[in-house]
Amino acid sequence: MKSKDKEINDALEKTMKGILDQAYDEMIQNFSLNLKNIWKEPSASIISNDDFNENDFSKMQSAIVIGRGPSIKKKKHLELLAKSNYKGAIICTDGNLINILEHGITPKKFPMFYVISVEPYKRIFKLFDNKIVDKYGDKIKGFFPTVVNPDVVSRARKAGIMIHWFHNLYDLNYGKRSLNYIFAKMVRTKNHLNGLPALQTGGNVGTSAWFFSWKILKIKNVGLIGMNQGWEPSDSWETILSHNSKSKEHLAQATNVNKKKYGQLIEKVYNPDLKSYSLVDPIFRFYRNSLIEFIERSPKWLTTINATEGGSLFGKRIKQMTLKQFLKKYC
Amino acid sequence: MKTNFKKSENIKIDEDEMIDEKRDLTKEEFEEFIHKSGAKGSFMVYRSTKKDEELGIDEL
Repeated sequence: MKSKDKEINDALEKTMKGILDQAYDEMIQNFSLNLKNIWKEPSASIISNDDFNENDFSKMQSAIVIGRGPSIKKKKHLELLAKSNYKGAIICTDGNLINILEHGITPKKFPMFYVISVEPYKRIFKLFDNKIVDKYGDKIKGFFPTVVNPDVVSRARKAGIMIHWFHNLYDLNYGKRSLNYIFAKMVRTKNHLNGLPALQTGGNVGTSAWFFSWKILKIKNVGLIGMNQGWEPSDSWETILSHNSKSKEHLAQATNVNKKKYGQLIEKVYNPDLKSYSLVDPIFRFYRNSLIEFIERSPKWLTTINATEGGSLFGKRIKQMTLKQFLKKYC
Repeated sequence: MKTNFKKSENIKIDEDEMIDEKRDLTKEEFEEFIHKSGAKGSFMVYRSTKKDEELGIDEL
């Protein structure tokens, strides 16, 4: 990475950590309220043991991680996947759960169906508060960080989702004074004597889902869809500034942004695999850089296939193919 | 200036408006933009001197 790029990237990571630090008290409160259930409910690592019996192993050679980037809609990926006979795992980011289920990608058709959350904020409550989640919840395996808002996980539990726990890596580098260390010690005092897995989130739930696919599920071939990490030049300002959010909060903030100044922060990236340009704003830059870095650093037995068919994700150890090709190869 | 962007009524960003080495925003401006563009929906990248730990820990 060029020195200027590294400087910007370091600044982004520092800024994002600073924003998360504002939720420090909230994370402590969430953990405190979750602890009783964490002790009662399984670790995320139990999936590795339960789902990897001899019969299932052949099916688990591949997974599709589903983000909510704009290519999902533009390329009709959910429709294509819903009609397929794909036998691998479906790993769904929480933000797209309802949409995915509504498109017919359900655990009834795809039994290896997982959903993952990483945020400590209550605002993600709505991602589970839906009748279709209630309809299929008891066949969905959910993965939640120990600092998730208790109302969120409670709603998921009410929908019948089987809750599994993990730690988000946050401040373990501060040693025994870190929340990670203290929370881990508390969790280990009862039932989880070996603790819980701790996941690198990479800054967002999409990258967390990718980590989950190979770190927890040990899947060797991981396809990505809806992981654009960038906008198309035809996308509107409102879409970019609100990060495609329909929430009133984000839309209101978007209207208050100085567009000319914000434009200075948007980088135009040429994707040589797709032969197209992508607009990478600071948030996507943050997501993109970390995912590209971690894919490059991932174990050699893992193959990451970007089937998004759009966006800015390319680089070492990232194979490109269409979703149709992916489904043909791994069905 | 040449541009590779499609003409659009919705978005008009020219190359000279994009971030480059000559242009620096203040830290406050930078953070404001990050906040307003949805950063609260994110988490963080964990960094450590123990590089293996950055890829996750099986049992913590």
